[in-house]
Amino acid sequence: MRWAVVRDLLTTEIRRRMSYRADFWLSAFASLAVRLAVVWFIVHAVFAGSRRSGIGGYDAQGMLVYYIAAILVGKLVQTTELEQGISQDIYEGGLTRYLLYPVPYGVVKYVQQLGALGPAAIQLVLFGAWLPFVVGIPRDLTAAGIAMGIGAIVIANLLQFLITFPIQLIAFWADNVWSLMVMHRFASALLGGMLAPLSLFPESAQRILAALPFRYLFAFPVETLLGRVGPAEWAGGMAIGLCWCGIMAMVGRAVWRAGTYQYTGVGI
Amino acid sequence: MIEAQALSKTFTVHRKDPGLWGSVKSLFRREKVHKHAVREATFRIDEGEIVGLVGANGAGKTTLVKMLAGIIHPTRGDARVLGFRPWERDNRFRRQIALIMGQKAQLWWDLPAADSFLLLKEIYGIPGERYRANLDYLARVLDVTKELTIQVRRLSLGERMKMELIAALLHGPRVVYLDEPTIGLDLTAQKAIRDFILAYREQHRPAMILTSHYMEDIERLCQRLLILREGEIVYDGSLAGVVEKYADHKVVTAHLRKTNGAVTRDGLEALGQVDACDDLTIRLRVPRGRVAEAAAELLRRYPVADLAIEEVEIGTIIEKIQRAKGGAP
Repeated sequence: MRWAVVRDLLTTEIRRRMSYRADFWLSAFASLAVRLAVVWFIVHAVFAGSRRSGIGGYDAQGMLVYYIAAILVGKLVQTTELEQGISQDIYEGGLTRYLLYPVPYGVVKYVQQLGALGPAAIQLVLFGAWLPFVVGIPRDLTAAGIAMGIGAIVIANLLQFLITFPIQLIAFWADNVWSLMVMHRFASALLGGMLAPLSLFPESAQRILAALPFRYLFAFPVETLLGRVGPAEWAGGMAIGLCWCGIMAMVGRAVWRAGTYQYTGVGI
Repeated sequence: MIEAQALSKTFTVHRKDPGLWGSVKSLFRREKVHKHAVREATFRIDEGEIVGLVGANGAGKTTLVKMLAGIIHPTRGDARVLGFRPWERDNRFRRQIALIMGQKAQLWWDLPAADSFLLLKEIYGIPGERYRANLDYLARVLDVTKELTIQVRRLSLGERMKMELIAALLHGPRVVYLDEPTIGLDLTAQKAIRDFILAYREQHRPAMILTSHYMEDIERLCQRLLILREGEIVYDGSLAGVVEKYADHKVVTAHLRKTNGAVTRDGLEALGQVDACDDLTIRLRVPRGRVAEAAAELLRRYPVADLAIEEVEIGTIIEKIQRAKGGAP
């Protein structure tokens, strides 16, 4: 696909997402400010209740920073509306126009997902900029860690889309993929380190989780950003994340082929 | 340009018994039903032709169009459009076709149409100069130049349809599928769309397939008809030919000056089937070979103020074909 198409898809999606001011401010408030406040209260309550100075290698301050970083990274990795959009395209016939365009559907949808990050990035700056003043600057934050973390977020964003894509394509056969998406969201939040740092899992479970794709969605980019991952471990993690991207891309391609073969174009 | 050979499509649908027990049963076992949407469709459409695809709801019109546009795969048979198998979705094929659906919006609703057109310019790789010329021409002819910068969701139905037409034709397609392009529009908008389609055909000579339930669309735009009944093409020929083939009579209407009860049904039945008969109007269905004789007889017998000899309306004939099941009407 030509760069000009990518650029225009990207900017069109950003413009589309920003055409509703109320939605922009409400989603910013609901998805960031409220969640950050909830995390702050829970972390303090857990540490105060347990009377322990550290849990899973994190003190109260470290745990709070981890959760806040996970929420911010999650904002850059997950875009709910577009994920649901793929199954809606199939159910309501919106897929038709993409089948007519001389551009690959999967790439179009991914670029649109990237476009949706535009408003999310503005929200991150607006609500995230004052966080260092509230929770302090993480002890192990370094320029190299931030650079490696950005790389890990890029892979996480792509991997999240590539995992979601075939699940959404199940809509070619099933009348509702909502329950599958809920399972995926729960599994990736639990096994990916969004609900709690993976260091809280037993050692043996952590070894298994390191080979699964979920860690590379949240925990890996967050730990890298916070300076808890060295260059060698980062390179290994990126390689595993990329491998999963390749595997999921192949799965997505196969499901797409099978799905479009028996697509009936309902809703048109 | 468009060639279909024994093109067929069968859908498998699930049947569920009504009621709570039916819902419980369907959790464990569902009955499959095969629905033959299109059967053995064979035809050819050349450059510059506008072919009307008509049939009742569920006759298979949209399914046929979807196969020829490459949206769905056929169950059997083959088709070539511009030399390509549509469902293989070769980009060279997709750059040369357009599908306009009156019931389904293709544009981005949250943006002005001009933004969608810019995106389509890049998707289809339309050179800047050609894009500007095409957009100017289409917007001017459809009279929507001022509406290009208004959010699509805020446009009227007619304006939206015009924008859909522009979006579909910007890249200058050589094959155009029009699925109910005037549905829901008022008479003025319908006429504007029809005039535009004719003008576009004259200028660009694409092959067009038009499906519509509005007979005026078919009569104004199409020289040729494909009539579908339960998935089967039961007629492929000229618009005039369908009248010749399926209407064995013409309608003779005589408007009379006051006759004071001199007109009786008995006297008229020898001329043809009497549809209306009173002191002021006589309407007869007369076999084609006897029209002149019947007209002369009416003029001789009654004080005729005006006499009209008309073909049966195309819509009536198509309705008759649709009603007839399993054979000629």
